[in-house]
Amino acid sequence: MIMKKTMQISNGVNEVKKLNVVLAGQANVGKSVIFNYFTGLHQHIGNWPGKTVEKAEGTLRYKDYSIDLLDLPGIYSLSTYSIEEIISREYIAFQKPDFIINVVDATRLERNLIFTLQLLEMERPTVLALNMVNLLKERGLEIDFKKLERLLGIPVAPVVAINGKGLIQVLDQGIRLVEKSLKPKPLKYGKELEKKVENLILSLEDVDLPYPKRWLALKLLEKDQRVKDIIENKKPKILEKAKKLSRELEKIHGEDSSIIVAHERCNLVSQIVNETVKITKPKKLSFNEKLDNLTSHKIWGYPIMFAILALLFVSVFKFGNLISSLLENLTSNWQQAWQVFFGTSIWSSLGWSIIESTLALMSLALPYIIPFYLFLFLLEDWGYLARVAFLTDNLMHKIGVHGKSCIPLVLGFGCNVPACLSCRIMETERERFLTAFLVTFVPCSATTVVIMGLVGKFVGIGWALSFYLFALLLILILGKLFSKALPGEPVELIMEMPDYKKPDLKTVFLQTWFRLKEFIFIAGPLVVISGLIIVTIHQTGFSYRIADFLSPITVKWLGLPVITGILLIFGILRKELILLMLATLLGTTNFSQVLSQHQMIVLSLVSMLYIPCVATIAALWKEFGWKKSLSITVFKIIFAIIIGGIISKLLNLI
Amino acid sequence: MKEISLIQAKENEEVTIVSLEAGQMATKRLVDMGLVPETKIKILRKAPFGPIEIGVRGSKLVLGRGLAAKIFVKHL
Repeated sequence: MIMKKTMQISNGVNEVKKLNVVLAGQANVGKSVIFNYFTGLHQHIGNWPGKTVEKAEGTLRYKDYSIDLLDLPGIYSLSTYSIEEIISREYIAFQKPDFIINVVDATRLERNLIFTLQLLEMERPTVLALNMVNLLKERGLEIDFKKLERLLGIPVAPVVAINGKGLIQVLDQGIRLVEKSLKPKPLKYGKELEKKVENLILSLEDVDLPYPKRWLALKLLEKDQRVKDIIENKKPKILEKAKKLSRELEKIHGEDSSIIVAHERCNLVSQIVNETVKITKPKKLSFNEKLDNLTSHKIWGYPIMFAILALLFVSVFKFGNLISSLLENLTSNWQQAWQVFFGTSIWSSLGWSIIESTLALMSLALPYIIPFYLFLFLLEDWGYLARVAFLTDNLMHKIGVHGKSCIPLVLGFGCNVPACLSCRIMETERERFLTAFLVTFVPCSATTVVIMGLVGKFVGIGWALSFYLFALLLILILGKLFSKALPGEPVELIMEMPDYKKPDLKTVFLQTWFRLKEFIFIAGPLVVISGLIIVTIHQTGFSYRIADFLSPITVKWLGLPVITGILLIFGILRKELILLMLATLLGTTNFSQVLSQHQMIVLSLVSMLYIPCVATIAALWKEFGWKKSLSITVFKIIFAIIIGGIISKLLNLI
Repeated sequence: MKEISLIQAKENEEVTIVSLEAGQMATKRLVDMGLVPETKIKILRKAPFGPIEIGVRGSKLVLGRGLAAKIFVKHL
């Protein structure tokens, strides 16, 4: 907060200069803390255009500068492993930010510097924000900041992000670089490699591309596919030369040239670390390390995980149910009041529908999504999610995903909406999409209402429980199948195990707030509009016509009564409506008068498997775009109809 | 010195990477995390049938079992 006041004091000069600054660094180094510190509420979290990667941008005023700050995703390298890496390197090359703030975890200097070297290869002015220096002492580490600065050739600013210490100096250093036009001097790797690099730089002289020549040369020797493609369009001869030089290197070093370049970076990093980092006392087990041993323990880790996940689950949904019922009680008379004032014409119903949709969204968002996000970000910030991935990786592999997918799948039992939103913790688009797809098959609490209210009550609890087993079996089979069918390699788990650290509440709150805003922005219109459409259809009696239209499917194939058509349409809004509408249309909750046991089973099954509710579709839309969310929706509808029909026929044979 | 795959190493052992026999993408990912030949690794934890946690370059990494099987190491 002191920072804000300092920033608002201008230096007396009237002109405001604009700066484009970027935050780059690996995951878990405190980038978001720094981003939030600088931008506070002046930030916007959207998506990169045409991609489903989060883009966090904000602004701040400092001295006589207006700074546009972009928080790049946490990445480990600038290769083409993931879309985040590609976006980052292209942004830096094409947009040429005025300076880069490379956020580095001081307690993990060696590994972080590998990325720093890659960043420096992009030849933009760079400031190293050495974060978490307050933790060095307790880890028994000492870093010579000045020497590090000398060896890297860029300013090094020690920082404690959660306290805001040193952050202004980072800006000062960056501005100094801009005002003096200081770019990082290239750090040389091994002699043999450098010879080949210089050779390629000469060949690249006449190639006009926004990337630095040295970077292109290194990437060619690393056999970077995207660079190869770009060069092929400009001057294909270079590719042959690069191949020849690669082979020469391989003969000398005995490893693939792509590994050689990485190896040289690691060598340089080791050298730098040896000269700047001192281990001052032997490591003895800290509290966090003891906690780590317990939570990742082969035996004890699992019950602890169940307990924590159960806690997550229960607190989100108990709290959610509490607030939800409170809201329901508060607003239970509103519909009547509305009808008193505005009558029951179709216009009045439409007006009410808007209000009801808004209330529905509020009773979804406020009670469930907010505590869910808070808890999730808390667990992530603390470092626990990595332990979950570690413990469940093996099981998740059988489903075709990996350890990190466990959290979304578990959350799906409560509500698919936060579960889909949480898929972003996975690294690749493929993993995220596959997990989200599987999440939609997890029976959420609304589906549970239908299953318990129909099958549980009128057929038997054993049957009801078998629904859950069936769902799990489906997830297993579909997971395996689609993991093979989806393009791209299934990704093995490669993950850093972060140290446990005290979560920064301010960051957690800000992250929650901005993500919630984004979700409401997409879900709001979708829920309201679909509500309006469905109410119109029903009020005009058109719903009965649609039900008749659907009867070849509902009656002939699924063996259900005609009104099921109406139920399933309302189910698109919220799955509980399937039962609620049935009660409304029948005027009774004694469903056995209208549905046989077999029919109840089929109806519950179709409800569980078919279209995700509108809010879930909105979540999928937000995370993956309309095409992918549409494809999941269509698949599920067809799948549900097919399975429903088969089960219906099978049941009739019993 | 006999070469073994990483999953054959036991907890608390220290080894050095000899070679990486994974696919192109996976190898890229490994080297970007600092797992190049000649790198020293300490096996911290092995989950039964699950991933392996290793200490490397001052930090902890978790590797899926299938991937660890393609990293060849030798004892120091």
